[in-house]
Amino acid sequence: MLRNIVYFFREAFKSMARNHLLSIATISTIAICILILGMSALLTMNTSNFLNNLESDVEIMAYLEQELDEEGIQELQEKLESWSGIEKVTFISREEALKEMQETLGKKNYDLESTLGKNPLPHAFEIKAVDPHDVPQLAVQIEKIHGVYKVNYGKGVVEQLFSTARWVRVVSVVFIVLLALGAVFLIATTIRLAIFARRKEIYLMKLIGSTDWFIRWPFFIEGVGLGALGSLVSIIILAVAYGSLLKRVDTILFMPLISGSDVLIHLYLSLFGAGAVLGIIGTAISINRFLDV
Amino acid sequence: MLVQFYNVSKIYSNGVKALEDVSLKIDRGEFVFLMGPSGAGKSTMTKMLYREETPSRGQIFVASRSLVRMKKKEIPILRRSIGVVFQDFKLLENKTVYENVAFAMEVIGAHQRDKRSRVLEVIQLVGLKGKENSFPHELSGGEQQRVGIARALANRPLLLIADEPTGNLDMNTAQEIMELLLDINRKGTTVIMATHAWELVKAAHKRVITLDRGKVVSDLAPGDLKLC
Repeated sequence: MLRNIVYFFREAFKSMARNHLLSIATISTIAICILILGMSALLTMNTSNFLNNLESDVEIMAYLEQELDEEGIQELQEKLESWSGIEKVTFISREEALKEMQETLGKKNYDLESTLGKNPLPHAFEIKAVDPHDVPQLAVQIEKIHGVYKVNYGKGVVEQLFSTARWVRVVSVVFIVLLALGAVFLIATTIRLAIFARRKEIYLMKLIGSTDWFIRWPFFIEGVGLGALGSLVSIIILAVAYGSLLKRVDTILFMPLISGSDVLIHLYLSLFGAGAVLGIIGTAISINRFLDV
Repeated sequence: MLVQFYNVSKIYSNGVKALEDVSLKIDRGEFVFLMGPSGAGKSTMTKMLYREETPSRGQIFVASRSLVRMKKKEIPILRRSIGVVFQDFKLLENKTVYENVAFAMEVIGAHQRDKRSRVLEVIQLVGLKGKENSFPHELSGGEQQRVGIARALANRPLLLIADEPTGNLDMNTAQEIMELLLDINRKGTTVIMATHAWELVKAAHKRVITLDRGKVVSDLAPGDLKLC
């Protein structure tokens, strides 16, 4: 068994060295495929990160009836906090709200309250949902509660944001799957060329009495090796390029870039695995037709 | 009995009838010529012996094993007991003589220890001692065919199949190869040789099976041949 394993590895390396032009072609093909795959993955991850941030910013403002006293407000807050779909309820008094409003309008030299005669704003709760997608339903339920006179969560805009985000996610997953399929096809074709160059040898091996697995193993090792080498090249390019991008900027069009090294290392390891797996799949697709003797 | 054909027919998917109702038996230790014009079915017959082709109808036995009922995973075992020699030699150009012969043992996972001595032994047997490190393109046609024969013998086959082994060689070289095959047969290996070379067949005094358009038209024992 050990003797055979040594033989398989020796044959795989001999074959890579002997057909070095084809090996380089295969490595380049895999490197380009993985590079495109990696860039798409980075783009998707950043977009998805951005959408998550946007979505988690979605909150419900619940405005309270004027006549509600302090005790009533306390009671209402406790009630809302006990709901399982709600993560956090923050009370914003009418005084705070007015101060905020004045700041938003600009610190003019007049006092907003005295201009208006009185503070027209109500007390309010700022409510954060556990899952931002539940916000529209929660808002409807909160509006029915006695003591709440109006809710606001950016109706219309929020629904649009959610559906856009869903679309972007679906499209990017489909895009990556299509890219991976294209990569498999391209790699299989290149590997088929490499195997085709050795079809006489395979035919002889079959006639002499090699088992199919004995013939396949060196090709699979070669496929994994070429896949790993190709993905390594693309990961180095990707890591250097993205790293230097991060050094220069940390956002693109208000979109913060992912910079966590654990996330990036995870991505690079996945791409390395993908390269090896693409090598195996490419070999598996290509070799069987040559074994049919 | 080493080889048995019972009512074997072969019709290819394009409708060509390659063999029609062929029945014959070949004993261990025999030397048999397969003769007949191109397209008579000689190649189909030899390919059936190592199961590159399967019959459309009929039964084939090699060493008492049915090739029709044989499972896919048993094919390598059958082929290890059969050595095949080709008209175009089918040597691997980037391997030396030694490596070409050793190849046959490596690809069935033979022991490293046995390999070296057996490879040198068969190279000597075919008369190529001293050429172990030559590459095929450095050899003459006859020498290349000797490498092909050495490779076919490396795994000590019961049966040696040679499909037009002298087809690409001049008459003198063909006679030398013929002598080598007869010598191998004398040492105990059954040999089946498909050929057009009537001169060689006549001189060898061995059994001759003649095919024409897929049918056996004559099967002459060594003695009968003198009558021709």
